[in-house]
Amino acid sequence: MSLRRKKLTDLLDPVFMSRLDRLDVLSRKILQGKLQGERRSKRHGQSVEFADHRPYVAGDDLRFVDWNVYGRLEQLFLKLFLEEQDLTVHIVADASASMSFGEPSKELFIKKLTAALGYVSLVNNNRVTISFIADGVTVQLANMRGRNYLDQMAECLLTTDCDGISNFDDACRQLAAGRIGSGVMIVLSDFLFKEGYDSGLRRLIGRQYDLYAIQVLCPQELSPDLSGELKLIDIEDADAAEITVSAALSKYYKRNLTAYCNELKDFCTSRGAVYVLANSADSVESLVLNYLRRIRLLR
Amino acid sequence: MQLVFKLHTLKQTYGTACAKKRLHTLRVLSSVFCILFMELEFMEWLTPMTAIYAAAVSVPLLLLLYFLKLKRREQIISSTLLWKRAVQDLQVNAPFQRLRRNILLLLQLLVLLAILLALAGPILSLITGPARRYVLLIDRSGSMNATDIKPSRLEAAKKQAKVFVESLRSKAFYSLRDESDQTMVIAFDNSAKVMCNFTSDKKQLNRAINAVTPSDGISSLAKAIVVARAFAQSPGIEADYMSAEEPARLMLFSDGQIRDLDQIVVGPDELTFYCTGESQQNVAVVAMQARRSYENPEEVNVFATLANYGAAPITCNVQLSINSDVRAVKSVTVPPRSIDESKDSVLPGKLALDFSLPYAEAGVLEVRMLLSSGEMDCLSCDDAAWAILPAPKKLSVLLVTAKNKVLESALQACPLARLEQQSPAQFDSTDPNDLNIEHRYDMIVLDNHVPAKLPKCRYLVFGRPPVGIDVSAPEELENQVIVDWRTKHAVLKYVDLTNLFVARCYKMILPRDAEVLAEFNETPALALLRRNGSVFLLAGFDVLQSNWPFEPSFVLFCYNAAGFLGMQLGGDRDMNLKVGEPIVVEGLNSQITTQIDRPDFSGTEIRSSASGSLRFPGTDRAGTYRLNIGEQPVRFFAVNLLDSKESNIEPQRQIVLSGQEVQAEERELSRANLSLWPFLIGLALILVCLEWIIYNRKVRI
Repeated sequence: MSLRRKKLTDLLDPVFMSRLDRLDVLSRKILQGKLQGERRSKRHGQSVEFADHRPYVAGDDLRFVDWNVYGRLEQLFLKLFLEEQDLTVHIVADASASMSFGEPSKELFIKKLTAALGYVSLVNNNRVTISFIADGVTVQLANMRGRNYLDQMAECLLTTDCDGISNFDDACRQLAAGRIGSGVMIVLSDFLFKEGYDSGLRRLIGRQYDLYAIQVLCPQELSPDLSGELKLIDIEDADAAEITVSAALSKYYKRNLTAYCNELKDFCTSRGAVYVLANSADSVESLVLNYLRRIRLLR
Repeated sequence: MQLVFKLHTLKQTYGTACAKKRLHTLRVLSSVFCILFMELEFMEWLTPMTAIYAAAVSVPLLLLLYFLKLKRREQIISSTLLWKRAVQDLQVNAPFQRLRRNILLLLQLLVLLAILLALAGPILSLITGPARRYVLLIDRSGSMNATDIKPSRLEAAKKQAKVFVESLRSKAFYSLRDESDQTMVIAFDNSAKVMCNFTSDKKQLNRAINAVTPSDGISSLAKAIVVARAFAQSPGIEADYMSAEEPARLMLFSDGQIRDLDQIVVGPDELTFYCTGESQQNVAVVAMQARRSYENPEEVNVFATLANYGAAPITCNVQLSINSDVRAVKSVTVPPRSIDESKDSVLPGKLALDFSLPYAEAGVLEVRMLLSSGEMDCLSCDDAAWAILPAPKKLSVLLVTAKNKVLESALQACPLARLEQQSPAQFDSTDPNDLNIEHRYDMIVLDNHVPAKLPKCRYLVFGRPPVGIDVSAPEELENQVIVDWRTKHAVLKYVDLTNLFVARCYKMILPRDAEVLAEFNETPALALLRRNGSVFLLAGFDVLQSNWPFEPSFVLFCYNAAGFLGMQLGGDRDMNLKVGEPIVVEGLNSQITTQIDRPDFSGTEIRSSASGSLRFPGTDRAGTYRLNIGEQPVRFFAVNLLDSKESNIEPQRQIVLSGQEVQAEERELSRANLSLWPFLIGLALILVCLEWIIYNRKVRI
């Protein structure tokens, strides 16, 4: 193994990175940040950007009273300013063993996507948290801000292995408990959880996050190329399923897969989250530069 | 009943909607089974047990193989979640999914089922009506050996008989019908042989038909029909209500050349005749005799008659061989048959020929026709004839008499090797055992002497009969005249007893097996009796008390008696037999093992009886038989067909039984039932193809 420090360029193409420089993470909700950042926050406060007036009520800070309006109308109005705040971007990547499956592997795809999204966020001075989850939160890089963290992020991405059993519910509980501010949360996973994804996602959605669920599936899952009498073994829990591959069975598999994805999509959209299905065989570049811009995750 | 119960349970379990669907399926299935059972009524199984054994082995084997096949390849995937759901969906959405998933197994089982059913030999019977009883009469006489039908007429007849057996309705294994045709098999030549009693077991019948072997005997049907009727009257092995009620139908497989048709009476339609044979082309030796010249015993005369039953004259070589050495060959042309207009019968062209050659020893003579390659001859067993020629024999005779000059001079006139004379006292003093062992005399003449012990020999007895031979002479009679004598007997040949008068004679009371040759008005005059291995020619009077010495017949009688008793020694008459006549040898030691070699060199061991006689009845093929008795020289027996009627092999399409005409069946026998196995095998083939296609499709997804 090379002793060279892991660089972001190991994951992302420099040309791609230069194109990413022009992008920023967009939240559909105007969210409250902690530090003064580059975007409007919902909180009105000490900013230069005027937003609105509102009638004075007892106890308001007299410093924000618009005396000019009082001079004209003899009524006390308060000046409201929009405070510019930073955006919290929380990228949650699934690092369970099932992600290492596939050709090309879902793991690489997710890491590339995390790197791209993390890069965009860091470059734009957003507060970035990257969490790897399996049967809990396994690795977390919290509160990164600025380009200085790029290398740290790259190293973390490149050194984290995908193994272990997934327990999405537990992981989500931990994420929700250790929540840092509010903002955009991007969950990258295959969402093939035996115990179900709904209770976990419900925890995350309930916390006022602007949630993006990106489901990454490999071509072997989307259209399996199996034949004959098989004993399928689950890569995570070694659960076995005996099947005889037939045309009918393949048909039912595909029908189930579509139903599963649609169900997840409906679950997300009905709760204000955005669902994206990605094929690990597609290029990360086109997904980021085209699709994510189109759904206005990036701008 | 079970079906109804099942439906009821189904309704309870699945509710109406589901049950309706299954109900339909069950209905379809039940109707299929009904059809199958109706079919079964007309169907029978030849070899159900074979199929059951095969099924017991192969079905579990196939299932086992299928389980072995289910050893699955392992494949790692990211999550079994969706696959399990897919499998569940597959099972939930398809009612017959188990079957569909195992469609290959199902097809394989169907293939196996088809093959197993084919193995069971299903037969679709096309005969209707009540069950019957049949007697198959298979002619195995000499003419059935004719090769005008390849391989022989007998084989053709057996084949037809087997076809007939195939068509019979046997007791079906699973059938609802309990009627079955019962059949027995009788093979006949001049005797009838029951091959198989009434049965409906086709295997047994086929075995019995296969066991019919050809013989060279003449054909006589009457005995066979007597036997068949005797068996038909007793209920068979598988007796049922119809046994002995309906007369059994007689199925005759023959060429129609049957000797005793006029002695047989059958009911109308009782006998069905299947005629085999096409050609009448045959040349045969129909008569043959070999004997030594009277004047010169060292010269042999052989007479033979050839007969041609064909329409064209036949030229052939006739070869005479003695002990397998060819001695003479004659080229002859046998004229063709002629048709006798008046009797409307066919007469064979006959040719007599004779050979004369010097030969002074014993030997086996063979007259054989050698046909040139172009000539047609369908029957080979009558192409040769054999005769056993004994060595010229001169007798050694002992005369036991008290100076009877008449007898002495009469015997001296006979061609004897040796004539010795002893007084009664001398004879009594000789140990009979010595005479037994040494065989010094071929004939002993007792003149008015009753010895205490009789050595084994041939006796000519004048006066009181000896004791110990079951003949008693309680009183003497006077003035007896001859009333009758058997002129045809060898002893009395050319003997005229018309003037014979006896002043005194013994009244002989003979046992039942004695042969009376001449009779006085009150008592037998001359009698022939065999006792204790000896032969006695008894004359119950003293020659000197009669007028016989003055008659020329006396010398002739002595000559004939010497010749006859000399022949009893080992006469050639018993050595030349007709086919079917038993080989009988007398005068052997009791309980000794002998071996008889048949013409085809198969040997049979036979033990002589307690009285020292030997009887071998198995002379059903023409040829020479060899008898080996321990250290003694080999004895030969010639068994000949020599029957001009049996050699006539012209197939008779019409036979006349005591005035009733029976026509041969015009059509060849064909199966009256349909073998279903080829269809089943075809079905199996189609199923295998289907399975292959489905398998390929499945693998491709």
